[in-house]
Amino acid sequence: MKTNQMAVKAAEYEIITLPSGLTVQVRPMPGYSSVHAVYGTDFGSIDRFFTVDGKKVVVPEGTAHFLEHKMFESDEGDAFSLYAKTGAQANAFTSFEKTCYIFTATSQIDESLDVLLGMVGKPYFTEQTIAKEQGIIGQEIKMYDDSPDWRMLTESMRCLYSAHPIRDDIAGTVESIAQITPEMLYDCCKAFYRPGSMVLSVAGNVTKEQVLAACARAGLDQPVQQAPKVERLMPADCAGVAQSSSTLYMPVAKPCFALAYKEKPVAFGDTRRAILCDMISELICGGMTPLYRRLYDSGLVNPEFDGDFMSVRGAGCFMFSGESSEPEKVEQMIWDEIERLRREGVDEETFTLCKNQSYGSLITDLGNVEDTASAMNAAFMKGRTLSDEIAALASLTKQDADEALQTMLLRENCAVVHIYPAEA
Amino acid sequence: MERKQIGNGAYITVLDSQKFNRCRITLHFQFPANREQATAAAVLPLVLERGYADCPDMTELSRRLAKLYGADLAVDNAVNGGNRILTVDIVGICDPFALEGENLTQEYLKIALGVAFDPYLVNGVFDPEAVQIEKATLAQRLEAEINDKRSYCVRQARRKFYGSSKAGIERDGYLEELPALDAAALKRVYDEILRTATVDVMVQGANAQLVEKAVLQRLSSIDRAPAALEPATLMPRQECRHYTETFSDLVQAKLCMLFAASETLNGEKLEANRLAMALFGGSVTSRLFLNVREKQSLCYYCGSSAGVMGGVMMVDSGVEPKNAAKAEQAILHELDQLLHGPITDEELEDCRRGILSSMESVEDTLSGVENWYYMQICRGEELCSPAESRRRLLAVTKEQVRQVLAGYSLSVSYLVTAKEDAQ
Repeated sequence: MKTNQMAVKAAEYEIITLPSGLTVQVRPMPGYSSVHAVYGTDFGSIDRFFTVDGKKVVVPEGTAHFLEHKMFESDEGDAFSLYAKTGAQANAFTSFEKTCYIFTATSQIDESLDVLLGMVGKPYFTEQTIAKEQGIIGQEIKMYDDSPDWRMLTESMRCLYSAHPIRDDIAGTVESIAQITPEMLYDCCKAFYRPGSMVLSVAGNVTKEQVLAACARAGLDQPVQQAPKVERLMPADCAGVAQSSSTLYMPVAKPCFALAYKEKPVAFGDTRRAILCDMISELICGGMTPLYRRLYDSGLVNPEFDGDFMSVRGAGCFMFSGESSEPEKVEQMIWDEIERLRREGVDEETFTLCKNQSYGSLITDLGNVEDTASAMNAAFMKGRTLSDEIAALASLTKQDADEALQTMLLRENCAVVHIYPAEA
Repeated sequence: MERKQIGNGAYITVLDSQKFNRCRITLHFQFPANREQATAAAVLPLVLERGYADCPDMTELSRRLAKLYGADLAVDNAVNGGNRILTVDIVGICDPFALEGENLTQEYLKIALGVAFDPYLVNGVFDPEAVQIEKATLAQRLEAEINDKRSYCVRQARRKFYGSSKAGIERDGYLEELPALDAAALKRVYDEILRTATVDVMVQGANAQLVEKAVLQRLSSIDRAPAALEPATLMPRQECRHYTETFSDLVQAKLCMLFAASETLNGEKLEANRLAMALFGGSVTSRLFLNVREKQSLCYYCGSSAGVMGGVMMVDSGVEPKNAAKAEQAILHELDQLLHGPITDEELEDCRRGILSSMESVEDTLSGVENWYYMQICRGEELCSPAESRRRLLAVTKEQVRQVLAGYSLSVSYLVTAKEDAQ
């Protein structure tokens, strides 16, 4: 694939490491009105076991997500009320391996940055505020319990992994979050909310000087006295899948299915492999493939049928999921297609088209303020930049995909999950 | 910003897109909803999206779009009060980003026009095999509507609210009518839409003159007779009707409350309505968020929104099944407090700032810009920039907010809950 100099230039942005250890990424976007900021830490739901300065910490399921909620509170009130004074729209999210705090604003950017850096830098927890949050998060957990997609993801992970915390629901359970104490939350903050493990990514109508000045106001331009020594502990998992199948019953109209494959996670900074893995599911069952056409035209799947790759610290998986009145038939067709591709190799033209598609997607991110800041942040957490992604994509060949298929998506590493309609 | 008439019931609006690295071409076909044609109108987008005369094969079309660096083609139908909108839009990266110097914009135009005006036909009607497949796809979608209980609850509430009025005609058609629908009937509905719809072409980043010329050429072969569009819907006020539907194994109940509007909002009242929604339940500084969710912990989500063309205000929430009645009372109490209790300057200004900021960021995405102006077209208004709306919003008073909220009266309350808790 050729390289477009305009794209290469568009993907460039400044990355600064401050004396405190905080990484700052800024991409000014001329002509845009808004600013999007993402302040993230590589602490997610899977980080349940770790040591801080030699002290072993074990936290219940759902702690990272719980902490995300609590971070909006301080002894001066909640951050939403502070953002209301700037007009910024704020939010946050927790995934398996990170937690991010975000805002979008068009004015009073300096003030909004101050709120963002202040709320995350000054944790404030009491028994009372924790108890109140347990009620709200309990409702959130119950909402996920009714979602077939969410239940499918969690159940698939439980089939693939015997001990890795990817088995746990990101939000935890009503029972697990009841065990959370202020001390646990302070331990998590000490370990993962220090400047050295955080990255601030800002894009849009903003300058580097503005962002750095905000960091200075928050004291993040100063060296940290003594960074704690943190070690993540991951329980050892079984070699193959924990269980090869599982069945749930829910109030759904027709059966839902998932084929999940346990895979080695992508190493930090291995951009080529990460992009290749993202392309492989598209090569197997994307809209351009003969398999998708056969499944769709025979009414075995609907447009929501999808294949995805996911990689987190210590765990990885491919997952093909959808709704079908004949899930076993779909599963057999996916297995057969993977075997055929392993045997015959992927189609050269389809591979090139997939690369084109991925290139378009990378360019698209760069034209949107929110997507740009989010993509910069996500790339940093994976040990790469957006320029690295464009370069890695350009270097991928059909041979890379063919080789990968020899070691990935093996039948013995596959688990099947079904959700069948419960009786009304 | 100008919406220029280019033909009988056909218009083009060219929107500034210089800063973007993508371009977009959209064709909107708006027509009065018709009960008899609803199921065909629901199948139509699925069939059109499969391909067109020059590229009849669905997989080939996917590959063509991938070759254009993953250009995104979408064909959809939408509800606008008593009218329906069939939309064909394509969006993709701008020419300078192409790796081989291709003229991408020209290809986008070919595809959009092909899909909208030159469908793949077999013996003068849509391909019967494609129609059969897409009927099955739609049937699956209709059957699966109970999977997402939140949207299911809203749909059920709307059904009760609109009854047999035009605004209540199902966007996704009627399951029981699908078996009888054939390729010829579908073609008749398609022809009727092309003949009677008001056509709005929105162009961002493509050669507008080229687009205009090409659209006019296609329209010239159609015996156009644009139909008068339905005015905004106003449902009669009536005593609130309560409905409860139960499911086994449901963990969280869903409550949807629909309020009938007393008048069609326009001009300054639209801005007052925006502020009223932010204050009542449309923001994190709203009464519903702060009091019903945060203070009383009655709901995980609880928000309000208004549909001007549908003459409705909606509050939907996810609640603990045993707290559903309490949540409904709490929601009504917050509305009553806004109408008759004090509104502080601080909360009003907090909400106003949030909307002003959102309005300013509208122009940062292609879809944001297009939606902003097309929604005004749908409401039959003169085009007004986000900057002008911001000026009007700045002038909205507490009294105007109260007047807008006073115009809504609760008409339907629909609860989807656990069977065990309802017994």
